[in-house]
Amino acid sequence: MSFDRPKEILKPVKRRIIFLSFALAILFELLPLPQEAQAWLPDFTGLLVLYWVINQPRRVGIGTSFSVGILADIASAGLFGQHALAYSVTSFLALLRQRQLVMFNLGQQALSVLGLMLINQFIMVVARMLTGSAFAGWSYFLPPLTGALLWPLITKLLLLPYRNMD
Amino acid sequence: MDFANNPSFIRQGPSPAARLALCAALSVTLLISDSQFGLMEQVRQGLSVAFYPLQRAVNMPVTAARAVSDFFTTQASLQADNNALRNRHLAMAARLQRLETLEHDYETLRQLNHLKSARRDAGELAEVLYTGRDPFSYKIIIDKGEDAKLRPGQPVVDEQGLIGQVTRVQPLTAEVTLVVDKTLMIPVMLQRTGARAILYGYGGGVDVRYLPVHADVQSGDLFVTSGIDGLYPEGIPVARISRVDRNGDTAFIRLAAVPVAGVQRGRYVMVLDEKAHVPARPAEPPPPAPKAKKKSAEDEDN
Repeated sequence: MSFDRPKEILKPVKRRIIFLSFALAILFELLPLPQEAQAWLPDFTGLLVLYWVINQPRRVGIGTSFSVGILADIASAGLFGQHALAYSVTSFLALLRQRQLVMFNLGQQALSVLGLMLINQFIMVVARMLTGSAFAGWSYFLPPLTGALLWPLITKLLLLPYRNMD
Repeated sequence: MDFANNPSFIRQGPSPAARLALCAALSVTLLISDSQFGLMEQVRQGLSVAFYPLQRAVNMPVTAARAVSDFFTTQASLQADNNALRNRHLAMAARLQRLETLEHDYETLRQLNHLKSARRDAGELAEVLYTGRDPFSYKIIIDKGEDAKLRPGQPVVDEQGLIGQVTRVQPLTAEVTLVVDKTLMIPVMLQRTGARAILYGYGGGVDVRYLPVHADVQSGDLFVTSGIDGLYPEGIPVARISRVDRNGDTAFIRLAAVPVAGVQRGRYVMVLDEKAHVPARPAEPPPPAPKAKKKSAEDEDN
């Protein structure tokens, strides 16, 4: 076992925390940000989908990922279905290896997340190019990298409400 | 979901693979119906109304920050601004005088030529809400929509030149596709020589194709809308040539052009009314006889 996984017994995850986290991620998507920031900021919605799929596979499965993807599609004013498709596929891949992924330490998890997020972006690029958009440039694959770097932080943050503080 | 610690007789609904197949099929259907047939327009309109308060809410901190910085603007900078604006106003007034004379002359000439005069339209001022987060298309969302009677197809300008075109109108907001988007083509002409061309967006920039190698173009030349499509009023600056590359190998000049308007910046834009009613296209001349005969023969076959 690794050092950086919490060993204390955690409180059960509340459903409303999951809802709240997704709502915040979608709101973040709506924020008017400068072009330069958008180029490297990770897809927080996608990261959250992966986090909950890995840590709460009974609550958040492929169906939830799909619905969150639809919301992300609307928020990002892209094509309907591009995020939904990408999130469903990556959460399926994460579910296949879910029992392995929870045993990983945060570094290993971050690496897997990097791979999954890259698959996410790749699916979206392919979907958009097949429907006639221009290639958005290689910088489109930068956000997964920053996302993977932020993964340990996100994990720690999302665990905060479940620590028994006594 | 199946887990190893679940007894196998407790069924938990369809397997992940089945769920994935269902979701993937659904999303592919959505993708195709949205990109090919635009079937989701109604859904998008409804949802955009639902999202509007949210957009406003997340915009609030930014708006507040702007208001605060506006409040703390020092008097010195205000005075400097004021002076600059007064000078500009004087210069503009002088130019406007000349323009009015010219316009008058122009009207007279047009009437002499028995041409209908082009309508000079006022526009609708709109504020940019946010830029589309989608990196595949270049779009901005503005805060006027059906409520201000916008229609798809109206040109959008800022104080320097053409920004793009309204492509999707929702009840309270509208989507403007920028000139650098891949789907936009604009008929332009060179201001200096009047040579006509078509300006293509390629995703992040603009490109003028199919000008013959010996065309008279120089770097620094300005492309303005030619107005021949009946959509953009003529004479709006669009792009400036930054580099001319006459390569002997190809039949066409390679031009690098940059949009003159603040395509990716700026807070306020003006949505122009569509150009005045352009008479309908003249009817196609009747096809030559043998061809028509062949066609009718084909029709009989069918």
